[in-house]
Amino acid sequence: MLQIERLNKGYGDRSVLQDLSLAIAPGEIYGLLGPNGAGKTTTINIICNLLKADRGLVKIDGQPISGATQKLIGIAPQENLLYRSLTCAENLNFFARIYGLSRQTRLKQVRYCLEAVNLSDRAHSPVETLSGGMQRRLSMAIALVHQPRLVILDEPTTGLDIEARYEIWELIRQLRHQGTTVLLTTHLLEEAERLCQRIGILKGGKLLAEGTLPELQRHIPAIEIAIVKTPEEEQAIDRALTHGFTPRRYGSDLAFWLPQAMELSQILQCFQGIPLDSVCRQPVRLEHIYIEVTQFGSDL
Amino acid sequence: MKYWQEALAVAQRILLELCRRQRSLFLWIMFPVFVLLLNGYILADQPQATLKGAFEAAAPMTLVGAALFFSCLGGTIATVVSEREQKTLKRLFLTPLSGLSYFCGILMAHSCIGIGQALLVYASAAFLEARFNGSLWLGGFIILLSIVAYVGLGFTLGTQVARRIEDVNALVAAFGVPLLMLGGAFVPLSFLPTPLRQIAKYNPVYHMNEALTGVSAAGDGVEAIAPHLYFLIGFALLMVISSGLAYRQMLTLERRL
Repeated sequence: MLQIERLNKGYGDRSVLQDLSLAIAPGEIYGLLGPNGAGKTTTINIICNLLKADRGLVKIDGQPISGATQKLIGIAPQENLLYRSLTCAENLNFFARIYGLSRQTRLKQVRYCLEAVNLSDRAHSPVETLSGGMQRRLSMAIALVHQPRLVILDEPTTGLDIEARYEIWELIRQLRHQGTTVLLTTHLLEEAERLCQRIGILKGGKLLAEGTLPELQRHIPAIEIAIVKTPEEEQAIDRALTHGFTPRRYGSDLAFWLPQAMELSQILQCFQGIPLDSVCRQPVRLEHIYIEVTQFGSDL
Repeated sequence: MKYWQEALAVAQRILLELCRRQRSLFLWIMFPVFVLLLNGYILADQPQATLKGAFEAAAPMTLVGAALFFSCLGGTIATVVSEREQKTLKRLFLTPLSGLSYFCGILMAHSCIGIGQALLVYASAAFLEARFNGSLWLGGFIILLSIVAYVGLGFTLGTQVARRIEDVNALVAAFGVPLLMLGGAFVPLSFLPTPLRQIAKYNPVYHMNEALTGVSAAGDGVEAIAPHLYFLIGFALLMVISSGLAYRQMLTLERRL
C-alpha cells in the first residue's frame, strides 16, 4: 500500500531523513516511533505531498505521490483542527464535499463515520461543546470520511485521558478489522505495542529497527528484565555482571537483563548480601527495545 | 465541476459559521442601516437638500464605503486569519482543495453577504422615499466589482500581513479608515480640500462610490461613469491576481503539519 524507497530530505545543512525505506502492506497497522525531531512528521509531510523530498520515491497503492494521491490518504493530525462553531455532522459533510463525494455517498458516509467513532448521538452538537476525546474521534472520522486506502494517525491519543485513549484504540482496532491500512506515529509505546502489527523506530532520519514485536524482542538478549531498588547500586551492578546480567538504566530504575528465565528466589539469591528494597520481574517490552535502539544505538 | 463543488462547500461553510454567530449576524445587519441613517440625515441637513435626495446619495456611499468595506474586506481578512489561527487552514491543505476554489468560495460567501447588505441598504433607503434611478444591472455590476476588489484585497492582506485575529482591527483601522475618508464614504468629497481631492482619485473606494452614486442617484449610464468603471475593473483584476500570488506565497509557509 505504501512504499518508501531511499527517501532523503534536508533543511539547509541539516539532514532530516537519510535513505529512509519502508513498506506497509495493505490492511497493516504500522507504528512509526521515534524521539522528537526523528523525522516522523517530515515523512508524513512528504507522504501527504505537502513537502518535496530531495531524493527517493514514495508510492501509494503503486502510484507516485502527487495531488491525485491525496484522495487515497486520510490523515488525523496531532491537533484536532476542526471548525468549532459547526456541528460534528457539518464538519464531516464539509470535508466530504471537498473530497468530491456525491450527495448520496456523503450522507451515507457522514452517518457511517459518526457511528464508527461513536458520535451519532452528538451529530448535531457544535464541536466547541465536545470533550477532547470526542473532538479527537471526530478528527479521525474526518480522516475516514472519503474512504481512504491509507489512514495516517499522527499521535492520535496524545493529551487524552485514559478512557478517551481506550476509545481511540478501539476505533483503530476496528479499522484493522475492516482492512484499512494505518500508519500510526506515537510516543506512547504501549499504544504501538497493543495496536501495531509492525513497528519501525526512527532516529536522526534513519530507520534503526523494524519488525513485528516478537522480531524486535528477539534481538534483545534477555528473557526477562529485573528492576532492582537498592541503596548499593554499584555493588549490585558488579554482582549482576558476575552472573551475566546486563545492567541498564530506565529513567531512575536500575534494571538487569536476565539471559534465562529465573524464579524470583533465584534472582534474590544472586544479590545475596546486598541490601535490596525491592525486586520485580518484567517481560522485555517495546520501551526497553526503543531505549536500547535510540539511546544505546543497539544494532538490531 | 470540481472547482464549483469545492467553492460552494467553502462558501456554505463560511455562511453557516456566520449564521451560528447570531450576535455578529445581527450587528452586520444593524451596522449599514445605522450608517445609512446617519449619512442620510447629515446630507439632508445641507441647504436645499431633500430627504429623498439625501438618502439617494447616502445609500451608495454607505454601501460601498461602510457595508461592503467592513464585511467583504474586513470579513475576508478575518476569515483567512481565523482559519490560520484555528489551524483549519492546515487541515484544508491536507485535502485536494485548490487555491482557486478556496478564493472563489470566500468570494461567493462574501458576495452573498454583500448582496444581502445591498438589498438591506436600498430597502431602508426606499423606506425613506429614495429611489434607485439608474440601471439595476449596471448598479449590480459595480457592486459585484466592489465586492471582488474588496475580497481580493482582504485575501491578500489576510494571507500576507495579518498573522493574528488582533491584527485585523489594526489593519482595517490603518488602511481602511483613511481610504474611506478619502473615498467620500462618510464625508462628501466636496467637503475635502483640493489636494486631498486630487489624492482621492487614486483611491478605489472613491471610484466605487462615484460610479455607484452616478448610477444609483443620478441615473448615469456606462459612458458617464466610464473612467470610474475602468479604474474599478482594473483594480478588481489586480486584486484577483494579487490574491492568487498571495495564496501561493502562503502555501509555502503554511502547508506543513
